[in-house]
Amino acid sequence: MLSKLNSFFSSVKLAIFLFISIAVVSIIGTFINQGNTMAQYKIIYGAKVFATLYWLGFLNIYNSWYFIGLAALLMINLLTASINRFPRTLSAVFGPYPSFKEAAEKKSPKAVYESFESKQGIFEVVSVLKGVFGSPLKESNAPVSGEKELYYSKNSIFRFSSYIAHLSVIIIIIGVLLTVKYGFRSYTNIKVGEKTNVSYLIENNKPIKLPFTIRLDKYETKYYPDGIPKSYISKISIIKRHTRVLTKDIKVNHPLTYNGITIYQSSYGHYKPAAARLLVLNLKNRNYKRAIDARPGTFYDLKKENIRFKFTLKKNPKKSEVPFFIAVYNNKNKKDFQKLNFNILPVKNHNHKVPLIFAKYQNTVFLYNGIKNYYYSGVEITKNSYTSVVWVGSIILIIALFFSFFFNQQETWARLMPKNGGEVVGVEILSIPRKKFPSFYRKFGEKIANIKNKLNLI
Amino acid sequence: MISPNVSVLDGSLFFTISLIFILLSFIGYFSFIFSGNKPIAKLSFVALIITLAIQTFAFAQRWIYAYKIGINTPPLVDLYDSLVFFAYVIILGFIFIRIFYDFDALGFIITLVSALALVFASFSPLAPSAIEPTIPALQSYWLLYHIVTLFIAYGAFGASFGLGILYLFKYKKESGHLKKEGRFLGLLPPSAIIDEAIYKVIVFGLLFLTAGIVIGAAWADSAWGGFWSWDPKETWSLITWLTYILFIHARVTKGWGGKRMAWIAVIGFAVVIFCYLGVDLIIPGLHSYATPGSTPVL
Ligand code: HEM
Repeated sequence: MLSKLNSFFSSVKLAIFLFISIAVVSIIGTFINQGNTMAQYKIIYGAKVFATLYWLGFLNIYNSWYFIGLAALLMINLLTASINRFPRTLSAVFGPYPSFKEAAEKKSPKAVYESFESKQGIFEVVSVLKGVFGSPLKESNAPVSGEKELYYSKNSIFRFSSYIAHLSVIIIIIGVLLTVKYGFRSYTNIKVGEKTNVSYLIENNKPIKLPFTIRLDKYETKYYPDGIPKSYISKISIIKRHTRVLTKDIKVNHPLTYNGITIYQSSYGHYKPAAARLLVLNLKNRNYKRAIDARPGTFYDLKKENIRFKFTLKKNPKKSEVPFFIAVYNNKNKKDFQKLNFNILPVKNHNHKVPLIFAKYQNTVFLYNGIKNYYYSGVEITKNSYTSVVWVGSIILIIALFFSFFFNQQETWARLMPKNGGEVVGVEILSIPRKKFPSFYRKFGEKIANIKNKLNLI
Repeated sequence: MISPNVSVLDGSLFFTISLIFILLSFIGYFSFIFSGNKPIAKLSFVALIITLAIQTFAFAQRWIYAYKIGINTPPLVDLYDSLVFFAYVIILGFIFIRIFYDFDALGFIITLVSALALVFASFSPLAPSAIEPTIPALQSYWLLYHIVTLFIAYGAFGASFGLGILYLFKYKKESGHLKKEGRFLGLLPPSAIIDEAIYKVIVFGLLFLTAGIVIGAAWADSAWGGFWSWDPKETWSLITWLTYILFIHARVTKGWGGKRMAWIAVIGFAVVIFCYLGVDLIIPGLHSYATPGSTPVL
């Protein structure tokens, strides 16, 4: 029972089944949008289809129990297969090595065999063999018959590469799991000039508290001459216990890491309402000048004039008119206001015709100076302290792949048997490669020809 | 059409000129498989070397021009860039294989795939050749390593696709299914040699595919905050990877040989092409080559 289970879990058949299953499930995930909200899915698919897709787990397929199950099964498969085969590989590399007879009896379909007789003495034959194949890993003599056996194993150490490749896959998976378990991926939007220590997890929008406070000092989009964005730059300060510890510009591809937490530039925008840039002048007092960024709906006091005003958008503006006005309130009565419409006066300025948009209330003039947008910067805040495990695993994987692919292990046995009372030596050579390549057999043929040549057989 | 002036500067004219040579090479290789005329194959190979030289020049020209107009990323960014680069590495891959093996019969498949990519690049409105400023997400030195490693892999898989097809023809003949002794088949090396070449080319590609995916993950980690996001392109690269991992396991442990492996080489390339082009044209994602008018991701 246990051995049946073991052979099931260590079989390459299971591995092939798993490779295909994981690929198929992944394909489904690329055709059904992942990571939308339930409400969005209901709109996209309709209630009925949505219910079915949800039940199948297709909407969050890479976190579904069956996808994780397949991955877990692959790991078990990988581990049991490696553990089962390891003792065999150990002995293939470090011995005890099989004898010529044992190897020949296996009748491997990859084996190649050659035999001939040499009139030269056994020591000459051995030295020729050593000249061609190098010094053997094992040399044994049968004391009675005078028989001699040489054993070679080329590239045998690279038998370990596939184990190292498998191990590195496990290291990568462990790194991924540690990152998921002990790290987080979150995002937050910060308005220019404001700070926050709360961020929202990407997977479920749950707020988390950061161990420090982030302040957005400045946000800027830089453009190419033709108006395509060149870079998005946020000036970020890290604040800990009310003191600023660090300020840095972050851009896409240039994040900021502090205490194991990394802050990435990820999006930007401006939030509403924007403000009207107003310049307030007093006709009587030339030195009086105030710049106010007036946001619609907010009251602003002009103490000197003893008035308060509110910048207000018109509900249904006509095409020709300025779509906003200023409501001026008397300080005593809050309900009573006077509506100040803006006038447009085209003026020449630096050879350009620019309109001057203004409104007047007694001696006070409001000059409209454009819109001020309030930017926010969307940042991703992540903690993944274990990514280095993933990178170490990946580098080992790449190196191990290289050695498993390009180093074909080959075992060679030579058996020398004195015949006719030592007059001739019967030479038998058997070679088994791990991978059955024509190039191996060609090289083997060349070596045999070389040996025969040196023994004056040709 | 763009003005000839710009097409000289940005190298695209030279890519189009190289198309003429690659088509000549294709015609030569195609007639070779019917005639078995070795000098024709030699001439086709020369035409291919000329193609490679022109394209190398065009690529350098394009890169220099991009720098001159203030774009600090190599020209490997949009669909046009990637198609001409794909055509380039496939030719390069074949030239390498041709040095080691007597595989002239492979030439017609390679030149066909490469010419198709180049025709698509030169004439499809989906792939304008103008150099656009690079969006911020791509302004990184990772870009070069990521794309070059992956395209070396694609080139190798393209070659294994051609070899797989040759194998299937040759195998049919050797196993007696094909009665007629076509000249073409006589020109091919024995199927066992093609089989070895398929393995070597695929593992070479797999090595670079693995490296390319890892580099991409490292880049994503430094640009987006996560090394894996199950973006369709990422997922399809994993599927491609699994296809070839399956290949090596079936071969090493199940002793699958020859025919089935040739089929996996052919199917594997279909997966590669879907990962490379299909994903961009069908499924939107973080990786889509900026098609004209699409909004760039940050
Ligand atoms: C998931 C990622 C995997 C990778 C990257 C991987 C990688 C490799 C590599 C590179 C080789 C050597 C192939 C060659 O020399 O041509 C190999 C061999 C092998 N693999 Fe895997 N493998 C994976 C999964 C698995 C699984 C799930 C099994 C489960 C049965 C498995 C079983 C084997 C076996 C039995 C061998 C032959 C070992 C030998 O004697 O050299 N592998 N693998």
